[in-house]
Amino acid sequence: MQYPEPIAKLIDSFMKLPGIGPKTAVRLAFHVINMNEEDVLEFGRSLVNVKRKLIYCSVCQNISDRDPCYICDDSSRDRSVICVVQDPKDVMAIEKMRDYNGLYHVLHGSISPVDGIGPEDIKITELIQRLSDEGIKEIILATNPTIEGEATAMYISRLVKPIGIRVTRIAHGLPVGGDLEYADEVTLSKALEGRREL
Amino acid sequence: MKLESITLTNFRNYHQLSLSFSSSVNVFLGENAQGKTNLLEAIYVLAMAKSHRTPHDKELIKWDSDYGKIEGRLMKRNRSIPLELIISKKGKKAKVNHLEQSKLSHYVGMCNVVIFAPEDLNLVKGSPGLRRRFIDMEIGQIKPIYIHELSQYQKILQQRNALLKDLSTKRSSMTAMLDILTEQLIELAAQITIRRFQFIESLRGWAKKVHASISRGMEDLDIAYISSTPNVLENMELSKLKEEFVKGFQTVREREIQRGMTLIGPHRDDLQFEINHRDVQTYGSQGQQRTTALSLKLAEIELINQEIGEYPLLLLDDVLSELDDFRQTHLLETFKQKVQTFVTTTNVDGLDADVINQATSFIVRNGEVVSQTQD
Repeated sequence: MQYPEPIAKLIDSFMKLPGIGPKTAVRLAFHVINMNEEDVLEFGRSLVNVKRKLIYCSVCQNISDRDPCYICDDSSRDRSVICVVQDPKDVMAIEKMRDYNGLYHVLHGSISPVDGIGPEDIKITELIQRLSDEGIKEIILATNPTIEGEATAMYISRLVKPIGIRVTRIAHGLPVGGDLEYADEVTLSKALEGRREL
Repeated sequence: MKLESITLTNFRNYHQLSLSFSSSVNVFLGENAQGKTNLLEAIYVLAMAKSHRTPHDKELIKWDSDYGKIEGRLMKRNRSIPLELIISKKGKKAKVNHLEQSKLSHYVGMCNVVIFAPEDLNLVKGSPGLRRRFIDMEIGQIKPIYIHELSQYQKILQQRNALLKDLSTKRSSMTAMLDILTEQLIELAAQITIRRFQFIESLRGWAKKVHASISRGMEDLDIAYISSTPNVLENMELSKLKEEFVKGFQTVREREIQRGMTLIGPHRDDLQFEINHRDVQTYGSQGQQRTTALSLKLAEIELINQEIGEYPLLLLDDVLSELDDFRQTHLLETFKQKVQTFVTTTNVDGLDADVINQATSFIVRNGEVVSQTQD
C-alpha cells in the first residue's frame, strides 16, 4: 500500500529539507492535510517568494528584498567602518547586539582549498572595490574562529593594509557571564594567550 | 592507581562478566580466540573511551545487542571511584561516580593505561608513522591541549596540500594564500615540535635507566627526535624555532609547488634510537629492536607517574613470551609492587615459574572465565 500521489509528493518534498527524515516528513505532511486552506496557501507563497523575490544587495552582498539593502541605504549609520562576516546569519547576530552602527560586507563563505574555494569564489573582490569609493577608515574582520575563517581574515588583511586602511580582528576567549571553571581547555588557553594589561 | 574490579555487559564476546583483580599481577590464560585480548581491550576502553584495536566502536558491542557497558572500580589516591562507559550505536556515555560527563575528553585521563601489544614490537623497525603515533598518544594523555593543536595542524596541512596541488597543476595562482597557510602552519608546527622535544627529553632519561637494567647494564640506549626541517634542534626557544621553520619553508617552496605537497613539518618527523651509539633500526638485532620498544613503553610508565603522580595500569597483550626469562622476570619484578599489571598468554610454560606462582590467574574459555586460582 502506498500513499496517494499528492501526499507522497509532499512527503518527498519535505525530505529535501535538512534535518528531516522519512518519519518527520510523514508527520509534517499529515499535519498539512489538517491545516486550513488560507495557511497552506500562505505557506506555499512564502516558499516561492523566498526564491523569487530575495536578491543580493549590490553593495554589501547581504540577502535583501531591495537594492541597496536597508542597512547600506541607512544614512544614520557610520559609513567609515565595514564589518566583514562569512554569512548573512552573522549579520543578524551582530545586529541583535544593537551596539554596532557601521556597515557590513557578507563574503558568503571562507577560503578553503580543500573544498576548491579560492578567494575569487567568495565576495572579496566586491569588498576591495568598495574600499576605493567610500570613505572607509576601518575594516573589522568577524569571520569564524576556525582555520578557514582565520586564513580568510589574514588574506583580506594583506590586501587591505597596503591601501592604508585600519584592519582589526574580533577577539576570542571566555564567554561573558560564564564561570571560568566551565570553560574548556582550548578556549581557556586562547583566552590566556590573548590576555591584556589592565 | 589500581583497578579493583570490572563488570562487562554485552562487550565483544562477553554477555555478562564480573571480575575482581589483584593489585599486582593478573594473568588471563587460555587458548586462541577465547576472549583474552577482549578482556585487556575492555580495560583499555574503560580508560581511554576508545579501542586500541579498532576505530569502529560498534565492533565492541556483542553482535546481537544494542549496547555494551563496561563498569569498573578504580582505586586512585586512596579513593575508590566507580567508572562506567556505555557504548551504543548512537555514541558513548561516560560516568564518573555515577555522574554523567558532558564531554568524553573530561573522562579520558581519569584512568591511565600503558599497553604493550604485539604490534608495538614494530615500533622501532616499522614506519615513522607508528613512532609519531606513539609520541602523539603519550603527549595527549599528559597534555590534552596537544590533541587540539595536532588536529588544527592536520586541518591546515590538508588545506595547504590542496592548495599546493592546485598550484602544481597551474589551476591556481594563489601564492599569497600559500604564504598565509604557511604562516598558520608554522605557528602550530613550532608549538607541536617544542612539546615533542620536551616529551622526548624526559622520556630519554627514563628509557636509558630502564634499558640499562633489562640489558643488565650491557646496553646504553639513546633517543633522538629527528626533525624534517633543517636546523630545528632541541632546546631552542619558540621564537627561534619559528624562524627556522620560516627559513625551511622558504628553501623548499619551489620543490613543494612542483611536488604539490608539504615536504617539511612535524608530520614528517621521526625518532631515532641508538644502542651503544649504533642506530638500532639499521644495525640492531631483532631482539634489540624489541627490547628497545619495551624500554620505551616502560619508560612511559615512569613518565606518567612523574607527570600525574600515580602509576598507570600496564596491559601486556601476548608479548611476555617474546622476551627471555631474565627480561620477563625483570619486567614483572620491577613493577610487581607499584604497577598493577594485566597479562594475556596461551601458555604458562614459557613464563617464569616464580612470576606465575605469585600472580592471580584467570582461565578464559569460550567467552567465560571458568576458574580462578589464587595462590
